[in-house]
Amino acid sequence: MQPIVLGIETSCDETAIGIVRGRTLLANVIASSVDEHARFGGVVPEIASRAHLEAILPSIERAVADAQISLKDIDAIAVTAGPGLVGALLVGVASASGLAQGLGRPLYGVNHLAAHVSVDYLTHEKPTAPTIALLVSGGHSSLLQVDDITGSITKLGATMDDAAGEAFDKIARLLALGFPGGPAIDREAVGGSATAIDFPRGLTTSQDWETRPYEFSFSGLKTAVARYIENTPAFIRADVAASFQESIVDVLLLKALAACKSTGIDSLVIAGGVAANSRLRAVAAERCAKAGIELRIPAAGLCTDNGAMVAALGSLMLSAGRPATHGAFDADSSLKVEQVSL
Amino acid sequence: MTISLAIDTSTSKTIVGVIEDGVVLFEKAHEGATDHGCALSELVAEALKVAKPPHQVVVGMGPGPFTGLRVGIAFAQTFALARQIPVIGICSLDAIAIDKDQYTVAIDARRKEIYWATYKAGIRIAGPAVNKPAEVPDFIIDVYPDMQKLVALAQTQNVTEPMYLRRPDAVPTAERA
Repeated sequence: MQPIVLGIETSCDETAIGIVRGRTLLANVIASSVDEHARFGGVVPEIASRAHLEAILPSIERAVADAQISLKDIDAIAVTAGPGLVGALLVGVASASGLAQGLGRPLYGVNHLAAHVSVDYLTHEKPTAPTIALLVSGGHSSLLQVDDITGSITKLGATMDDAAGEAFDKIARLLALGFPGGPAIDREAVGGSATAIDFPRGLTTSQDWETRPYEFSFSGLKTAVARYIENTPAFIRADVAASFQESIVDVLLLKALAACKSTGIDSLVIAGGVAANSRLRAVAAERCAKAGIELRIPAAGLCTDNGAMVAALGSLMLSAGRPATHGAFDADSSLKVEQVSL
Repeated sequence: MTISLAIDTSTSKTIVGVIEDGVVLFEKAHEGATDHGCALSELVAEALKVAKPPHQVVVGMGPGPFTGLRVGIAFAQTFALARQIPVIGICSLDAIAIDKDQYTVAIDARRKEIYWATYKAGIRIAGPAVNKPAEVPDFIIDVYPDMQKLVALAQTQNVTEPMYLRRPDAVPTAERA
Protein backbone atom coordinates (compact mmCIF):
# COMPACT_ATOMS: atom_id res chain seq x y z
CA MET A 1 0.00 0.00 0.00
CA GLN A 2 1.34 3.42 -0.90
CA PRO A 3 1.77 5.97 1.89
CA ILE A 4 -0.96 8.48 2.72
CA VAL A 5 0.16 12.09 3.05
CA LEU A 6 -1.91 15.02 4.32
CA GLY A 7 -0.89 18.44 3.01
CA ILE A 8 -1.67 21.82 4.59
CA GLU A 9 -1.50 25.10 2.67
CA THR A 10 -2.16 28.51 4.30
CA SER A 11 0.32 30.84 2.60
CA CYS A 12 -2.25 33.39 1.42
CA ASP A 13 -6.04 33.46 1.65
CA GLU A 14 -6.94 29.81 1.06
CA THR A 15 -7.05 27.37 3.95
CA ALA A 16 -6.45 24.19 2.01
CA ILE A 17 -6.07 20.55 2.98
CA GLY A 18 -5.22 17.79 0.53
CA ILE A 19 -4.79 14.09 1.07
CA VAL A 20 -3.03 11.77 -1.38
CA ARG A 21 -2.23 8.08 -1.41
CA GLY A 22 0.91 7.81 -3.49
CA ARG A 23 -0.11 9.83 -6.52
CA THR A 24 -3.84 9.33 -6.11
CA LEU A 25 -5.81 12.34 -4.90
CA LEU A 26 -8.14 11.33 -2.08
CA ALA A 27 -9.33 14.74 -0.85
CA ASN A 28 -8.89 18.40 -1.73
CA VAL A 29 -10.70 20.79 0.61
CA ILE A 30 -10.36 24.54 0.12
CA ALA A 31 -11.87 27.20 2.37
CA SER A 32 -11.23 30.65 0.96
CA SER A 33 -11.50 33.99 2.72
CA VAL A 34 -11.44 35.79 -0.65
CA ASP A 35 -14.90 37.33 -0.12
CA GLU A 36 -13.75 38.97 3.11
CA HIS A 37 -10.89 40.65 1.23
CA ALA A 38 -12.89 41.81 -1.79
CA ARG A 39 -13.96 45.14 -0.27
CA PHE A 40 -10.31 45.92 0.53
CA GLY A 41 -9.23 45.31 -3.08
CA GLY A 42 -6.60 42.78 -2.03
CA VAL A 43 -5.68 40.25 0.62
CA VAL A 44 -5.50 41.70 4.15
CA PRO A 45 -2.97 39.56 6.08
CA GLU A 46 -4.66 39.76 9.48
CA ILE A 47 -8.06 38.88 8.04
CA ALA A 48 -6.49 35.93 6.20
CA SER A 49 -4.75 34.70 9.35
CA ARG A 50 -7.94 34.86 11.42
CA ALA A 51 -9.85 33.02 8.73
CA HIS A 52 -7.17 30.30 8.59
CA LEU A 53 -7.49 29.62 12.30
CA GLU A 54 -11.28 29.40 12.01
CA ALA A 55 -11.20 27.12 8.99
CA ILE A 56 -8.26 24.82 9.65
CA LEU A 57 -9.82 22.28 11.97
CA PRO A 58 -13.11 21.81 10.09
CA SER A 59 -11.11 21.60 6.84
CA ILE A 60 -8.87 18.82 8.17
CA GLU A 61 -11.90 16.95 9.47
CA ARG A 62 -13.70 17.29 6.16
CA ALA A 63 -10.67 16.18 4.16
CA VAL A 64 -10.27 13.08 6.31
CA ALA A 65 -13.97 12.31 5.85
CA ASP A 66 -13.80 12.93 2.08
CA ALA A 67 -10.78 10.63 1.80
CA GLN A 68 -12.66 7.97 3.76
CA ILE A 69 -9.69 7.32 5.97
CA SER A 70 -9.06 7.76 9.68
CA LEU A 71 -6.45 10.18 11.00
CA LYS A 72 -4.37 7.23 12.15
CA ASP A 73 -4.00 6.08 8.54
CA ILE A 74 -1.92 9.16 7.71
CA ASP A 75 1.75 8.28 7.24
CA ALA A 76 3.19 11.78 6.96
CA ILE A 77 2.18 15.44 7.09
CA ALA A 78 3.44 18.10 4.68
CA VAL A 79 2.95 21.82 5.15
CA THR A 80 3.79 24.96 3.21
CA ALA A 81 6.64 26.57 5.17
CA GLY A 82 6.98 29.50 2.74
CA PRO A 83 7.04 31.74 0.87
CA GLY A 84 3.87 33.63 1.76
CA LEU A 85 2.31 35.84 4.42
CA VAL A 86 4.11 35.03 7.63
CA GLY A 87 1.10 35.21 9.96
CA ALA A 88 -0.91 33.05 7.58
CA LEU A 89 1.89 30.51 7.13
CA LEU A 90 2.33 30.20 10.89
CA VAL A 91 -1.24 28.98 11.38
CA GLY A 92 -0.57 26.17 8.92
CA VAL A 93 2.83 25.27 10.33
CA ALA A 94 1.54 25.22 13.93
CA SER A 95 -1.45 23.11 12.90
CA ALA A 96 0.80 20.71 11.04
CA SER A 97 3.17 20.44 14.00
CA GLY A 98 0.29 19.72 16.38
CA LEU A 99 -1.09 17.08 14.05
CA ALA A 100 2.32 15.48 13.44
CA GLN A 101 3.17 15.38 17.14
CA GLY A 102 -0.30 14.21 18.08
CA LEU A 103 -0.14 11.36 15.58
CA GLY A 104 3.58 10.69 16.00
CA ARG A 105 4.22 11.04 12.27
CA PRO A 106 7.00 12.77 10.30
CA LEU A 107 6.50 16.35 9.14
CA TYR A 108 7.79 17.88 5.91
CA GLY A 109 8.05 21.66 5.71
CA VAL A 110 7.92 22.33 1.96
CA ASN A 111 8.17 25.16 -0.52
CA HIS A 112 4.91 26.61 -1.85
CA LEU A 113 6.36 27.24 -5.31
CA ALA A 114 7.77 23.74 -5.69
CA ALA A 115 4.41 22.38 -4.52
CA HIS A 116 2.63 24.26 -7.33
CA VAL A 117 4.83 22.50 -9.87
CA SER A 118 4.61 19.09 -8.19
CA VAL A 119 0.82 18.93 -8.41
CA ASP A 120 1.46 17.76 -11.99
CA TYR A 121 2.54 14.46 -10.40
CA LEU A 122 -1.09 13.72 -9.53
CA THR A 123 -2.04 13.51 -13.19
CA HIS A 124 1.07 11.90 -14.65
CA GLU A 125 2.91 8.69 -13.91
CA LYS A 126 6.15 10.43 -13.04
CA PRO A 127 7.08 13.99 -12.36
CA THR A 128 8.50 15.35 -15.59
CA ALA A 129 12.22 15.88 -15.11
CA PRO A 130 13.87 17.88 -16.25
CA THR A 131 11.24 20.44 -17.11
CA ILE A 132 10.87 24.17 -17.41
CA ALA A 133 8.16 25.49 -15.09
CA LEU A 134 6.31 28.75 -15.48
CA LEU A 135 4.83 29.63 -12.12
CA VAL A 136 2.30 32.42 -12.29
CA SER A 137 0.00 33.51 -9.49
CA GLY A 138 -1.14 36.52 -7.49
CA GLY A 139 2.06 36.52 -5.47
CA HIS A 140 4.64 34.99 -7.81
CA SER A 141 5.81 34.99 -11.42
CA SER A 142 8.87 32.82 -11.94
CA LEU A 143 10.52 30.75 -14.59
CA LEU A 144 12.19 27.68 -13.16
CA GLN A 145 14.33 24.83 -14.35
CA VAL A 146 13.30 21.72 -12.44
CA ASP A 147 15.79 18.86 -12.55
CA ASP A 148 14.36 17.06 -9.54
CA ILE A 149 11.21 18.38 -7.93
CA THR A 150 12.23 16.97 -4.54
CA GLY A 151 15.58 18.70 -4.42
CA SER A 152 16.93 20.50 -7.45
CA ILE A 153 15.22 23.61 -8.74
CA THR A 154 17.01 26.53 -10.39
CA LYS A 155 15.40 29.93 -10.74
CA LEU A 156 15.93 31.27 -14.26
CA GLY A 157 14.05 34.50 -13.69
CA ALA A 158 11.15 36.16 -11.91
CA THR A 159 9.13 39.33 -11.98
CA MET A 160 10.94 42.53 -11.13
CA ASP A 161 7.79 44.26 -9.94
CA ASP A 162 4.19 42.99 -9.91
CA ALA A 163 3.28 39.32 -10.11
CA ALA A 164 1.17 38.41 -13.15
CA GLY A 165 -1.89 37.76 -11.00
CA GLU A 166 -1.38 41.07 -9.25
CA ALA A 167 -1.43 42.81 -12.64
CA PHE A 168 -4.74 41.11 -13.39
CA ASP A 169 -6.11 42.37 -10.04
CA LYS A 170 -4.97 45.94 -10.67
CA ILE A 171 -6.36 46.11 -14.19
CA ALA A 172 -9.62 44.55 -13.04
CA ARG A 173 -9.87 47.34 -10.46
CA LEU A 174 -9.27 49.97 -13.18
CA LEU A 175 -12.01 48.36 -15.25
CA ALA A 176 -14.34 48.06 -12.23
CA LEU A 177 -14.47 44.28 -12.66
CA GLY A 178 -13.94 43.43 -8.97
CA PHE A 179 -11.55 41.18 -7.05
CA PRO A 180 -10.00 38.71 -7.75
CA GLY A 181 -9.18 40.09 -11.17
CA GLY A 182 -7.99 36.98 -13.00
CA PRO A 183 -11.31 35.21 -13.55
CA ALA A 184 -13.09 38.57 -14.06
CA ILE A 185 -10.78 39.64 -16.89
CA ASP A 186 -10.84 36.17 -18.41
CA ARG A 187 -14.65 36.40 -18.63
CA GLU A 188 -14.72 40.00 -19.85
CA ALA A 189 -12.08 39.32 -22.52
CA VAL A 190 -14.23 36.67 -24.21
CA GLY A 191 -16.29 39.34 -25.96
CA GLY A 192 -13.34 41.59 -26.81
CA SER A 193 -10.58 41.80 -29.38
CA ALA A 194 -7.10 40.77 -28.30
CA THR A 195 -5.55 42.86 -31.06
CA ALA A 196 -7.68 46.00 -30.59
CA ILE A 197 -5.00 47.78 -28.54
CA ASP A 198 -1.29 47.19 -28.84
CA PHE A 199 -0.22 47.21 -25.19
CA PRO A 200 3.53 46.94 -24.44
CA ARG A 201 5.32 43.63 -23.85
CA GLY A 202 7.55 44.19 -20.82
CA LEU A 203 11.29 43.37 -21.03
CA THR A 204 11.25 42.12 -24.61
CA THR A 205 13.61 44.56 -26.34
CA SER A 206 16.68 43.00 -27.94
CA GLN A 207 18.74 44.32 -25.07
CA ASP A 208 16.37 42.74 -22.54
CA TRP A 209 16.70 39.40 -24.33
CA GLU A 210 20.46 39.70 -23.90
CA THR A 211 20.66 40.86 -20.31
CA ARG A 212 17.49 39.58 -18.60
CA PRO A 213 15.77 37.08 -20.88
CA TYR A 214 13.75 35.40 -18.12
CA GLU A 215 12.78 38.39 -16.00
CA PHE A 216 9.27 39.80 -16.16
CA SER A 217 7.91 43.29 -15.61
CA PHE A 218 4.24 44.17 -15.62
CA SER A 219 4.21 47.63 -14.11
CA GLY A 220 4.74 49.37 -17.47
CA LEU A 221 1.81 47.45 -18.89
CA LYS A 222 -0.35 48.52 -15.96
CA THR A 223 0.59 52.17 -16.54
CA ALA A 224 -0.11 51.85 -20.26
CA VAL A 225 -3.57 50.43 -19.60
CA ALA A 226 -4.32 53.17 -17.05
CA ARG A 227 -3.23 55.86 -19.49
CA TYR A 228 -5.26 54.32 -22.31
CA ILE A 229 -8.40 54.32 -20.16
CA GLU A 230 -7.78 57.92 -19.10
CA ASN A 231 -7.27 59.10 -22.66
CA THR A 232 -10.06 57.08 -24.21
CA PRO A 233 -13.36 58.12 -22.62
CA ALA A 234 -15.32 55.76 -24.87
CA PHE A 235 -13.03 52.78 -24.33
CA ILE A 236 -14.49 49.35 -24.87
CA ARG A 237 -14.00 47.38 -21.68
CA ALA A 238 -13.93 43.96 -23.31
CA ASP A 239 -11.26 45.11 -25.78
CA VAL A 240 -9.09 46.53 -23.00
CA ALA A 241 -9.44 43.30 -21.01
CA ALA A 242 -8.65 41.11 -24.03
CA SER A 243 -5.71 43.21 -25.23
CA PHE A 244 -4.23 43.46 -21.74
CA GLN A 245 -4.60 39.72 -21.26
CA GLU A 246 -2.99 39.09 -24.64
CA SER A 247 0.03 41.14 -23.67
CA ILE A 248 0.61 39.21 -20.44
CA VAL A 249 0.01 35.83 -22.05
CA ASP A 250 2.31 36.69 -24.93
CA VAL A 251 5.22 37.73 -22.69
CA LEU A 252 4.84 34.79 -20.32
CA LEU A 253 4.94 32.30 -23.17
CA LEU A 254 7.64 34.05 -25.19
CA LYS A 255 9.95 33.77 -22.19
CA ALA A 256 8.88 30.27 -21.16
CA LEU A 257 9.45 28.92 -24.66
CA ALA A 258 12.75 30.75 -24.95
CA ALA A 259 13.83 29.02 -21.73
CA CYS A 260 12.88 25.63 -23.18
CA LYS A 261 14.82 26.40 -26.32
CA SER A 262 18.00 27.64 -24.69
CA THR A 263 18.15 24.82 -22.14
CA GLY A 264 17.17 22.16 -24.67
CA ILE A 265 14.39 20.99 -22.36
CA ASP A 266 11.29 20.08 -24.35
CA SER A 267 8.84 20.04 -21.47
CA LEU A 268 6.89 22.89 -19.90
CA VAL A 269 4.71 22.87 -16.79
CA ILE A 270 2.54 25.93 -16.18
CA ALA A 271 1.27 26.22 -12.63
CA GLY A 272 -0.17 28.75 -10.19
CA GLY A 273 -3.50 30.55 -10.18
CA VAL A 274 -2.92 32.37 -13.49
CA ALA A 275 -2.51 28.96 -15.15
CA ALA A 276 -6.30 28.73 -14.84
CA ASN A 277 -6.60 31.58 -17.40
CA SER A 278 -8.28 30.22 -20.50
CA ARG A 279 -6.32 32.37 -22.96
CA LEU A 280 -2.99 31.35 -21.41
CA ARG A 281 -3.98 27.70 -21.67
CA ALA A 282 -5.09 28.04 -25.31
CA VAL A 283 -2.07 30.00 -26.55
CA ALA A 284 0.32 27.76 -24.61
CA ALA A 285 -1.18 24.66 -26.21
CA GLU A 286 -0.87 26.19 -29.67
CA ARG A 287 2.70 27.42 -29.31
CA CYS A 288 4.01 24.32 -27.53
CA ALA A 289 2.53 22.06 -30.19
CA LYS A 290 4.24 24.12 -32.86
CA ALA A 291 7.58 24.03 -31.02
CA GLY A 292 7.42 20.33 -30.18
CA ILE A 293 7.28 20.96 -26.45
CA GLU A 294 5.27 18.75 -24.15
CA LEU A 295 2.91 20.99 -22.21
CA ARG A 296 1.46 20.16 -18.81
CA ILE A 297 -1.04 22.38 -17.06
CA PRO A 298 -2.80 21.05 -13.95
CA ALA A 299 -6.60 20.90 -13.95
CA ALA A 300 -8.00 24.35 -13.21
CA GLY A 301 -8.92 23.38 -9.62
CA LEU A 302 -5.31 22.39 -8.91
CA CYS A 303 -3.75 25.59 -10.32
CA THR A 304 -4.86 27.96 -7.60
CA ASP A 305 -3.50 27.40 -4.08
CA ASN A 306 -4.53 24.00 -2.77
CA GLY A 307 -3.53 21.38 -0.25
CA ALA A 308 -3.28 18.56 -2.79
CA MET A 309 -0.14 20.10 -4.24
CA VAL A 310 1.49 20.19 -0.81
CA ALA A 311 0.46 16.60 -0.16
CA ALA A 312 1.78 15.67 -3.62
CA LEU A 313 5.18 17.18 -2.90
CA GLY A 314 5.25 15.49 0.51
CA SER A 315 4.42 12.19 -1.14
CA LEU A 316 7.21 12.67 -3.70
CA MET A 317 9.69 13.51 -0.92
CA LEU A 318 8.65 10.41 0.99
CA SER A 319 8.96 8.09 -1.99
CA ALA A 320 12.31 9.65 -2.95
CA GLY A 321 13.57 8.77 0.52
CA ARG A 322 14.11 12.40 1.45
CA PRO A 323 14.31 12.89 5.22
CA ALA A 324 11.49 14.68 7.04
CA THR A 325 12.21 18.13 8.41
CA HIS A 326 14.39 17.63 11.44
CA GLY A 327 13.13 19.16 14.67
CA ALA A 328 11.01 22.24 15.11
CA PHE A 329 10.88 24.82 12.35
CA ASP A 330 9.34 28.18 11.68
CA ALA A 331 7.53 29.59 8.68
CA ASP A 332 9.85 31.42 6.27
CA SER A 333 7.92 34.14 4.46
CA SER A 334 10.68 34.67 1.90
CA LEU A 335 11.75 31.05 1.36
CA LYS A 336 13.74 30.81 -1.88
CA VAL A 337 12.44 28.51 -4.58
CA GLU A 338 15.76 26.65 -4.68
CA GLN A 339 15.00 25.36 -1.19
CA VAL A 340 12.38 22.70 -1.86
CA SER A 341 12.09 21.66 1.78
CA LEU A 342 13.41 22.67 5.19
CA MET B 1 -7.09 10.91 37.32
CA THR B 2 -6.68 13.47 34.56
CA ILE B 3 -3.48 14.47 32.81
CA SER B 4 -3.65 17.83 31.03
CA LEU B 5 -1.31 19.31 28.47
CA ALA B 6 -1.37 23.08 29.06
CA ILE B 7 -0.29 25.62 26.44
CA ASP B 8 -0.19 29.41 26.46
CA THR B 9 1.28 31.66 23.75
CA SER B 10 -0.58 34.87 24.58
CA THR B 11 2.54 36.68 25.83
CA SER B 12 6.15 36.96 24.70
CA LYS B 13 6.68 33.61 26.44
CA THR B 14 5.76 30.21 25.07
CA ILE B 15 4.61 28.24 28.13
CA VAL B 16 3.91 24.52 28.26
CA GLY B 17 2.88 22.44 31.25
CA VAL B 18 1.76 18.95 32.13
CA ILE B 19 -0.61 18.87 35.11
CA GLU B 20 -1.95 15.70 36.72
CA ASP B 21 -4.89 16.35 39.05
CA GLY B 22 -3.55 19.70 40.17
CA VAL B 23 0.05 18.51 40.46
CA VAL B 24 2.63 20.06 38.13
CA LEU B 25 4.63 17.31 36.43
CA PHE B 26 6.26 19.66 33.93
CA GLU B 27 6.29 23.38 33.30
CA LYS B 28 8.68 25.28 31.12
CA ALA B 29 8.68 28.66 29.40
CA HIS B 30 10.67 30.05 26.51
CA GLU B 31 11.10 33.82 26.20
CA GLY B 32 10.96 35.31 22.68
CA ALA B 33 8.15 37.29 21.09
CA THR B 34 8.62 35.71 17.64
CA ASP B 35 9.70 32.23 18.74
CA HIS B 36 6.32 30.66 19.51
CA GLY B 37 6.31 28.33 16.50
CA CYS B 38 9.63 26.59 17.14
CA ALA B 39 9.52 26.82 20.92
CA LEU B 40 6.06 25.29 21.26
CA SER B 41 6.88 22.26 19.20
CA GLU B 42 10.11 21.68 21.15
CA LEU B 43 8.54 22.20 24.58
CA VAL B 44 5.63 19.88 23.83
CA ALA B 45 8.05 17.18 22.65
CA GLU B 46 9.87 17.56 25.95
CA ALA B 47 6.66 17.59 27.98
CA LEU B 48 5.37 14.40 26.36
CA LYS B 49 8.48 12.56 27.52
CA VAL B 50 7.92 13.25 31.22
CA ALA B 51 4.36 12.03 31.58
CA LYS B 52 1.77 9.57 30.35
CA PRO B 53 -0.30 10.70 27.34
CA PRO B 54 -2.60 13.63 28.18
CA HIS B 55 -6.37 13.23 28.46
CA GLN B 56 -7.09 16.82 27.50
CA VAL B 57 -5.42 19.95 26.15
CA VAL B 58 -6.01 23.28 27.90
CA VAL B 59 -4.98 26.36 25.92
CA GLY B 60 -4.85 30.09 26.58
CA MET B 61 -7.15 31.88 24.09
CA GLY B 62 -5.71 35.33 24.74
CA PRO B 63 -6.03 38.20 24.72
CA GLY B 64 -2.53 38.50 23.28
CA PRO B 65 -0.58 39.58 20.21
CA PHE B 66 -2.32 37.80 17.35
CA THR B 67 0.40 35.92 15.51
CA GLY B 68 1.85 34.17 18.55
CA LEU B 69 -1.56 33.58 20.06
CA ARG B 70 -2.73 31.72 16.96
CA VAL B 71 0.29 29.41 17.05
CA GLY B 72 -0.74 28.05 20.46
CA ILE B 73 -4.42 27.70 19.58
CA ALA B 74 -3.77 26.04 16.19
CA PHE B 75 -1.30 23.59 17.70
CA ALA B 76 -3.59 22.73 20.63
CA GLN B 77 -6.56 22.11 18.35
CA THR B 78 -4.81 19.80 15.91
CA PHE B 79 -2.90 17.95 18.63
CA ALA B 80 -6.20 17.28 20.40
CA LEU B 81 -7.81 16.22 17.14
CA ALA B 82 -4.98 13.79 16.45
CA ARG B 83 -5.26 12.27 19.94
CA GLN B 84 -9.07 12.38 19.91
CA ILE B 85 -9.09 14.25 23.22
CA PRO B 86 -10.92 17.46 24.19
CA VAL B 87 -9.38 20.92 23.93
CA ILE B 88 -10.54 23.56 26.40
CA GLY B 89 -9.92 27.29 25.92
CA ILE B 90 -9.23 29.67 28.80
CA CYS B 91 -8.93 33.46 29.02
CA SER B 92 -5.15 33.77 29.45
CA LEU B 93 -5.40 36.73 31.86
CA ASP B 94 -7.51 34.58 34.20
CA ALA B 95 -4.57 32.18 34.50
CA ILE B 96 -2.20 34.80 35.87
CA ALA B 97 -1.90 33.87 39.55
CA ILE B 98 -1.75 36.77 42.03
CA ASP B 99 -2.01 36.22 45.77
CA LYS B 100 -4.40 39.10 46.55
CA ASP B 101 -8.13 39.56 47.02
CA GLN B 102 -8.43 42.32 44.42
CA TYR B 103 -6.00 43.02 41.61
CA THR B 104 -5.59 44.02 37.97
CA VAL B 105 -3.27 42.07 35.67
CA ALA B 106 -2.00 43.16 32.27
CA ILE B 107 0.13 41.93 29.41
CA ASP B 108 1.82 43.87 26.63
CA ALA B 109 -0.54 44.42 23.69
CA ARG B 110 2.12 46.29 21.65
CA ARG B 111 1.34 49.67 20.04
CA LYS B 112 1.82 51.20 23.51
CA GLU B 113 -1.27 49.46 24.86
CA ILE B 114 -2.01 46.66 27.30
CA TYR B 115 -4.52 43.86 27.57
CA TRP B 116 -5.89 43.82 31.11
CA ALA B 117 -8.54 42.47 33.46
CA THR B 118 -9.50 43.09 37.11
CA TYR B 119 -10.36 40.36 39.64
CA LYS B 120 -11.99 40.35 43.07
CA ALA B 121 -12.34 37.27 45.25
CA GLY B 122 -11.33 35.10 42.32
CA ILE B 123 -13.94 36.54 39.94
CA ARG B 124 -13.18 38.70 36.90
CA ILE B 125 -15.03 41.98 37.54
CA ALA B 126 -13.66 44.09 34.64
CA GLY B 127 -12.09 43.37 31.26
CA PRO B 128 -10.60 41.74 29.38
CA ALA B 129 -10.00 44.93 27.46
CA VAL B 130 -7.25 46.76 25.60
CA ASN B 131 -6.24 50.30 26.65
CA LYS B 132 -3.36 52.68 27.07
CA PRO B 133 -1.51 51.99 30.36
CA ALA B 134 -2.44 55.45 31.69
CA GLU B 135 -6.12 54.52 31.45
CA VAL B 136 -5.75 51.47 33.71
CA PRO B 137 -5.01 52.04 37.43
CA ASP B 138 -2.49 49.90 39.36
CA PHE B 139 -1.92 46.92 37.17
CA ILE B 140 0.59 44.09 37.52
CA ILE B 141 2.36 43.38 34.23
CA ASP B 142 5.39 41.19 34.96
CA VAL B 143 3.55 37.99 35.87
CA TYR B 144 2.75 35.37 33.22
CA PRO B 145 -0.02 32.79 32.95
CA ASP B 146 0.37 29.88 35.35
CA MET B 147 -0.24 26.44 33.85
CA GLN B 148 -1.62 24.97 37.08
CA LYS B 149 -4.20 27.76 37.28
CA LEU B 150 -4.93 27.49 33.55
CA VAL B 151 -5.82 23.82 33.95
CA ALA B 152 -7.84 24.44 37.13
CA LEU B 153 -9.97 26.97 35.22
CA ALA B 154 -10.85 24.31 32.65
CA GLN B 155 -13.44 22.97 35.09
CA THR B 156 -15.48 26.16 34.88
CA GLN B 157 -14.87 27.81 31.52
CA ASN B 158 -14.37 27.04 27.85
CA VAL B 159 -13.58 29.95 25.57
CA THR B 160 -14.03 28.78 21.97
CA GLU B 161 -12.98 31.90 20.05
CA PRO B 162 -9.57 33.61 20.12
CA MET B 163 -9.78 36.80 22.20
CA TYR B 164 -8.35 39.37 19.78
CA LEU B 165 -10.14 42.44 21.25
CA ARG B 166 -9.02 44.44 18.21
CA ARG B 167 -10.30 44.51 14.68
CA PRO B 168 -7.84 43.86 11.83
CA ASP B 169 -6.16 47.00 10.48
CA ALA B 170 -7.58 47.49 7.02
CA VAL B 171 -9.41 50.22 5.17
CA PRO B 172 -12.03 49.26 2.58
CA THR B 173 -11.18 50.54 -0.92
CA ALA B 174 -14.31 52.69 -0.96
CA GLU B 175 -13.23 54.56 2.20
CA ARG B 176 -9.69 55.33 1.03
CA ALA B 177 -8.77 58.94 0.34
